[in-house]
Amino acid sequence: MSDNISSGLQEGGPQHAYFMKQALRMGEKALETGETPVGCILVYENKIVGSGMNDTNKSMNGTRHAEFIAIEEMLQTYPRSALYSTDLYVTVEPCVMCASALRQYRIRKVYFGCGNERFGGTGSILSLHSDPSLDPPYPVQGGLFHQEAIMLLRRFYIQENEKAPKPRPKKHRELKMDFNKEVSLPSPTP
Amino acid sequence: MDAEEILRGIKPLVGEVTAIRTVQETCPCEDYADAYVTEVNVKCASKVIKVLDSSFPRDSAQPLSHLRRFAKHNQVPEYLRPVLLREGSSPAQTIFVLISPPLPDIDSLQNVLSPFAPPGTPAGDQLAFHTVRVPLQPPLTTIQADAWSQTMWPVVFNPSAPRAMIAPPPQILSRARDFIQPKAGRYLALAQRVAEEAEQSGLGRGVGAVVVDPDLEAQFDDEETDNHWSDAVVAVAGDGRYSRAAVSEPGPNPASQTYNPDHEGGPELHALMRVVELISSKRREDRPGSSSTGRPCLNHLETYFLSQSDVTCSDDDSEDPSPVPEKYQKTETSSHAIHKHPEPAEDDTPTTARIRPRSQGGYLCTDLDVYLTHEPCICCCMGLLLSRFRAVIYPRSGRMVSGGLASEPVVKPVPVEEETSATENQDPKTDDTQHQREYYGLHWRKELNWRALGFEFVEETEAETETKEATETVAFHA
Repeated sequence: MSDNISSGLQEGGPQHAYFMKQALRMGEKALETGETPVGCILVYENKIVGSGMNDTNKSMNGTRHAEFIAIEEMLQTYPRSALYSTDLYVTVEPCVMCASALRQYRIRKVYFGCGNERFGGTGSILSLHSDPSLDPPYPVQGGLFHQEAIMLLRRFYIQENEKAPKPRPKKHRELKMDFNKEVSLPSPTP
Repeated sequence: MDAEEILRGIKPLVGEVTAIRTVQETCPCEDYADAYVTEVNVKCASKVIKVLDSSFPRDSAQPLSHLRRFAKHNQVPEYLRPVLLREGSSPAQTIFVLISPPLPDIDSLQNVLSPFAPPGTPAGDQLAFHTVRVPLQPPLTTIQADAWSQTMWPVVFNPSAPRAMIAPPPQILSRARDFIQPKAGRYLALAQRVAEEAEQSGLGRGVGAVVVDPDLEAQFDDEETDNHWSDAVVAVAGDGRYSRAAVSEPGPNPASQTYNPDHEGGPELHALMRVVELISSKRREDRPGSSSTGRPCLNHLETYFLSQSDVTCSDDDSEDPSPVPEKYQKTETSSHAIHKHPEPAEDDTPTTARIRPRSQGGYLCTDLDVYLTHEPCICCCMGLLLSRFRAVIYPRSGRMVSGGLASEPVVKPVPVEEETSATENQDPKTDDTQHQREYYGLHWRKELNWRALGFEFVEETEAETETKEATETVAFHA
C-alpha cells in the first residue's frame, strides 16, 4: 500500500497526502464506533477547519453523513462564505445527497478516495458537481489512497448490521485483499 | 392563533394524487444489439438450447429472457420472411433459433450447431447465420412488445418480473395512491400552514413538511377523519435556513426575495431534513448521551405538536375534544429537554408512541409518508431515500427548477378557445419552458439502492394559480 501513498503524493503534493490521511483517520474512528467507515475533513487556508465521520447509526438519522458533520463543525466558527474557498477530503466519493449539499454550499474542490457505485453523486451515478444547477460547478479528483479507502469499507461490510430490522448473517464472508480487478463496492453511504 | 384552532381551520386542498413516472419510464433506454438467427431441425430444439447454453454462457447481467429463443415459421417477422423461409423448408421439419449477444464467432457456432441442421441438408453444407437487431431491455408494455415482435424478433411481455427496477409494481403503486388520496389535501394544507409559520418567523422560507404514519392512519375509520385526521401526523417542520443568522425582524426574511448563497443556510435546515432530525431525536431518546445535533428553535406548530404531548402526560385527559390525541408522544429536543413520564391513560387505548424509539423497533423513517409544500431539492430527495420514507407527496404547483423528483415537464392542456390557432396546438406546451431544469426522478431510479413512491398533488384550481406562481417564484432549493 506504500505504492498508493506515493501516488497520492504525486497526484497532489505532500499536503494532499496529509489531508487525505486525516480523512482516513476519521474513517477508522467511524469503523471503531460501528458506523459506516467514511471520514472527511474540510481545509480552509491550509488548516483543517472541520472533520466528520458517518453518524447515521448513533443518531438514528440516515442523513448524518460525514460531510454534514464536518460542515456543521466548520460553521460554528466560520461564516458560510468561507466554504467557497474550502476543499473537502473524503474517503469515499460523496453520495447524491452530499454531492448536492456541497454544491449548495459552494465548496471549492472535492478530493476523494474510492468511487461509490451505489450512491455516488460526483460521477458514479449522477454528476451533481457539474450538472446545470443554481450554484456553480465544483471540480472533483478521485483516487487518493484508493486502496486504503476500499479496505476500510470492506472491513466494515464483512460485519453484520445488528441495527437493521433483519440482520443478514455474513458468517461466510472473507475479507478480500486483492486489488487486481476493479472491485465492485458494497453500498457505502458517505 | 391557538394551534388547535389552526388545525380545525385547515381547509383541505382539493385535487388528485398522481404518481410521478420514473425516469426509466419517461426516458426508456432503448438499447439494441445484433443477434444471429439460423434454421435448425425442429426435433432437436431442446438439444440446441442445451448445447448453446453450455458452449456460450450467457451474461447474467443481461438475461434477455424477453427474447423468444425460437420462432416457428409463422412467428417469423414479416420483414425476415424473404430471407429466412427457404423453398422446401417446412414448419413440421424446421424452426428458427436465436443466438443472442454476446455473440460467439461463426466458426464455433457452426461446429456446435451443425449436428442439428435442417433435415436433408447435404453433409458439409454450412448453416446460414442471419443477423437481426434485438432489443436488450424487456418491453415495458404489450404495445412495445408487439412492435418489437414485428420489426425485430418475437419478444415476450412479462408484466411483473423485470419492472421493479423500472417502476414500482403497479398494484403497490395504485394501492398506495388510493390510500393517500383521501387525506392528502389535509396534510398538504397543514404543510402550507407550517410553511407560513416558517416564513412569518423570519427563520426560513415558506416551505413546510408533514410526516404521517400510514399505520396510524389506518387505525381510525373514515367517519372519524374530520376530528382525527391529524392523529397520524408524527412530526411537522418548516424551513429554517435563516436560523443560523442573528434573529431579524419578525415577518418574512428579506433574504427570501432573492437567492443569495450567503444567506441560504444549508440543506440540513430545509424542511425535509429538519423533520427527519425531529423524528430521529425521538427515536434515539432511549439512549442517553446520544448525539443531539444543534437544532434551531422550533416554530409554533412544531412546538404545538410537541407540547401537546406534554399535556397528554398529565391526567387531565377528560373533556378536551382536542384533535390531537392522548397517545401523541412528545418529541424531545435540545430546547425541550423537560421530560415528564406519561401516566398511562386509563380510559383510552394503550399509549403507544407515534414515533417509536429504537428500543421498540423504530428505525430511521421506515414506512412513513412525507407531505411537502414544494418539490424537494436533490439533496433532500436523497435524504428522504436514505431515511427510507415509503412515499413523498408534493403539490404540482410546488415544482422547483432545483427539484429532484419530477421526471418530465408538465404537459399543459391547450385551452379550448385557442384551438383555432393551429400553430399553438402543434406541440404540447410545457410548464417549464422559461426555466431549463434537469428531471432526475430520484424517487425511483434503478441505480440507487433505496426507492420511494413519488406522487404529485394536482390541485383543481391549478390552472388559475399557475401563472401567478410562475412570475412570483424565486428559484431556490426547497
